[in-house]
Amino acid sequence: MTQRNLLIDSELCVGCQACEIACKQEHNLPVGPRWIRVVQVGPRPAGGRLVMSFHPTRCMNCGKPPCVDACPEGAITKRADGNVLINEALCTGCMACIEACPFDAPQFNQETNTVGMCTLCAHRTDYGLMPACSLACPTGAIQFGEINSLIEKKRAERAARTLSRI
Amino acid sequence: MAIELDALLRQQMEPTGLYGQAEAEVVRTVCQSCHCGCGVLVHLREGRIIKIEGNPEHPLNEGIICPKGMTSWQVVYHPDRLKYPLKRAGARGENRWQRISWDEALDTIAEKLKDILKTDGPMAIAGTFGGKPTRIRNAMHSLINSLGSPNSGYSDASFCWGPYPVAEVNTYGGYTFTEMNADARNSNCIIVWGGNPTQSHPTYGRLISNARARGAKLVVVDPRFTAIASKADVWLQVRPGTDAALALGMLNVIINEGLYDKEFVDRWCLGFEELKERVQQYPVEKVAEITWVPAEDIVRVARMYASTRPATIYARVAVETHLDSTQGMRALACLVAVTGNIDVKGGNVFSVYPRGFYSFHGQRRKWWREKANGDAEQEQRLGAREFPLLCGPNSPIGSPHPTTMVRSVLTGKPYPIKAWFVANNLLLCLPNSSEVYQALKKVDFLVVWELFMTPTAQLADIILPAAHWLETNNIMDAYSNYIAARPRAIEPVGEAWDEMKIVFEILDRVGKEFCYFPARNADEYDDNRLKGLGMTFNDLKEMTVLSAPIPYKRYEQEGFQTPSGKVELYSGTFEKYGYDPLPHYVEPKPGPVSTPELARDYPLVLTTGAIRVSYMHSEGRAIPWLRELAPDPEIEIHPDTAAQLGIRQGDWVWIETPNVDGRIKQKARLTSGIDSRVVCCEAHWWFPEKPAPDYGHWEVNINKMLSGDPTPTETGTIVLRGLLCRIYKAEEN
Repeated sequence: MTQRNLLIDSELCVGCQACEIACKQEHNLPVGPRWIRVVQVGPRPAGGRLVMSFHPTRCMNCGKPPCVDACPEGAITKRADGNVLINEALCTGCMACIEACPFDAPQFNQETNTVGMCTLCAHRTDYGLMPACSLACPTGAIQFGEINSLIEKKRAERAARTLSRI
Repeated sequence: MAIELDALLRQQMEPTGLYGQAEAEVVRTVCQSCHCGCGVLVHLREGRIIKIEGNPEHPLNEGIICPKGMTSWQVVYHPDRLKYPLKRAGARGENRWQRISWDEALDTIAEKLKDILKTDGPMAIAGTFGGKPTRIRNAMHSLINSLGSPNSGYSDASFCWGPYPVAEVNTYGGYTFTEMNADARNSNCIIVWGGNPTQSHPTYGRLISNARARGAKLVVVDPRFTAIASKADVWLQVRPGTDAALALGMLNVIINEGLYDKEFVDRWCLGFEELKERVQQYPVEKVAEITWVPAEDIVRVARMYASTRPATIYARVAVETHLDSTQGMRALACLVAVTGNIDVKGGNVFSVYPRGFYSFHGQRRKWWREKANGDAEQEQRLGAREFPLLCGPNSPIGSPHPTTMVRSVLTGKPYPIKAWFVANNLLLCLPNSSEVYQALKKVDFLVVWELFMTPTAQLADIILPAAHWLETNNIMDAYSNYIAARPRAIEPVGEAWDEMKIVFEILDRVGKEFCYFPARNADEYDDNRLKGLGMTFNDLKEMTVLSAPIPYKRYEQEGFQTPSGKVELYSGTFEKYGYDPLPHYVEPKPGPVSTPELARDYPLVLTTGAIRVSYMHSEGRAIPWLRELAPDPEIEIHPDTAAQLGIRQGDWVWIETPNVDGRIKQKARLTSGIDSRVVCCEAHWWFPEKPAPDYGHWEVNINKMLSGDPTPTETGTIVLRGLLCRIYKAEEN
């Protein structure tokens, strides 16, 4: 089946955190859990100048997700389209998935005593709508779709961008 | 605080999505969480807002939306919203209040105003406001002007939206340094000068970022390595307070190397030879020494800006808060002019409105011009004598001078203000908080219009609960070439009122007419503003925006709106008022160069006013999702400086300045994105969750540590950037 995911272009991200708030609004999240979170790297010196970049981090929908294996309740599954989802009804809040995840994607929710994470806005994207983070993103840094064709498109786009500056 | 408050707020919300949207009602309106004015879609269920999205059809934001806009419903439904008029029931600042009816509040105000009009005259009535997300700008000017007083205006006119309009209008007759006028969308070279648009105005920041992605050149002038600086071709890390020198150095390169637009300069500019002579005082090596910017970078940027067409300069508040604010902005205006980038597509473009429509400011200026005795009345405005270009009849903004107002209460000179309407958190937003505090405590009668209880509102005699932009009709008329209806999405919470309604009710009771044009209530007001277009407010509501074609190079038909009809590089108006007709640079004082002895005790250069995406001025600290992104006030320090002082990331740090006794503290954020000789403080901080009446602002607000003395310049600026300070680790870490 075609694999769908978010593709994030950190060259375009300006760190405005609109995605974070759009996600909270869409999923009705309290203060605390941040299913998508902009991580700032830098400023640091590189090649005689300063560099800084922003990386919206969220569930990567891993090929072999360690959280699926770690969950003692079998609450986490990977769908055929690649989307890794937590079934909140089965989650006991043991946080084993939080330990297992290398990306800090699963987030504990104090209100519900369960763990949640990015669902790729399945309630929207399964019906042909775009995810909330992608809609709010001012620079088009967050895109959603069939991942291989997104990557192909992005390669061409970046090559054109680089060439235009030479 | 955040967790319980947040839970309470979100009880009103449900997750939406495809199924949710089908049931929801959607109101198309325009956001007013900052100055941008983005189109938004407000989703409602059973009359309550459940989410706010960007409007994909709106020409500015094209569907995107920033954190401030999205969380606007958290402002509206916040449990701490002021819902009823309040009357002070104890001494000022005692935090004892009595709920009263609107009738009682308005009658009390009207009686007091009638007394003052009889005994002191209208000049003793004043009104100030800021960037509050309501229609306060229209309301406050309307009220104060209708009562017969010229003393209404932005509380920060001398250092924000004051110096640059004065500079630009006196150079080429209109202002263009704002969002949307600096035409990033169509530009091939953009200079972001003293602004942080991806944090302060994300939808405009987006246009710059997009332009960069399509290959436009980007230059950022900023002491801090901001997000937009990290995307730039060249980042000029300027010493705070020396931007004017940098601009003059660039002019030196552009003129001496013959890179300016000769045809445009010959045909349209006055005083080029004088400017040429002036910039000889600013050779690149000297400018490099002043600004700490390497000489080769100055030359490179000057050549890039002058040789890339079209090019635009987006210049924001930083330059306006310097000792030479107006002259610095004049230097930038000269850069725009000599390169022929004024009023061209992709350059710096004048605003235009649909024919028959007046922007609020346009309408007000016209009314003053046509008013019998208008000039004489405006000459009475507070500050008009000292700063005629900012406060007099020919001012582009027609505001009183903020510090002069504060001091008129304290000293009675040139005449005292007796009744003061304050519609912002003035105490936090003006420098020298202690002096502002004394004035607010002393004034005879203080009325505050607010959404929330604030340290300023705590000092009021009467507090009026104002309606938020989601709760009132309005017309969005700022910037660019379009206007849009901003219809209300919901009714005001509690007994909050549309501020225009407050105006008409007060005027009725005092027996005064609404002044600008005939109107008897808020609805008539909105309709009559559109009369010249042959429309009503409901008609305008039907369209996303009503736009006018941008003519570009209007000067070819009409000339420039200056006395000479030309671009005045050498300003005749400045000369007439006794100011330097050519732009110049003034060394920051106190500073490491001008006061080296003082700099031994206060070794760091201080710049203030940095803002994060969560906040607009003093707003937003009570909004849970926004506060989560930026929980504490932060001071940016270079790691080397911090190491010398034993300060680590996240330590609380005391800050002292030579201007004012006392100290404040902020949390250390170590970053190599700032010069090791400079630190940068965030401004306007307070903690709404801390005890009244101060809410902790005396401990953290940098404005307390700044001098309120206006500089003896064109606009009487208060210096907020390019100061001195010393810092040390706070004991309690």
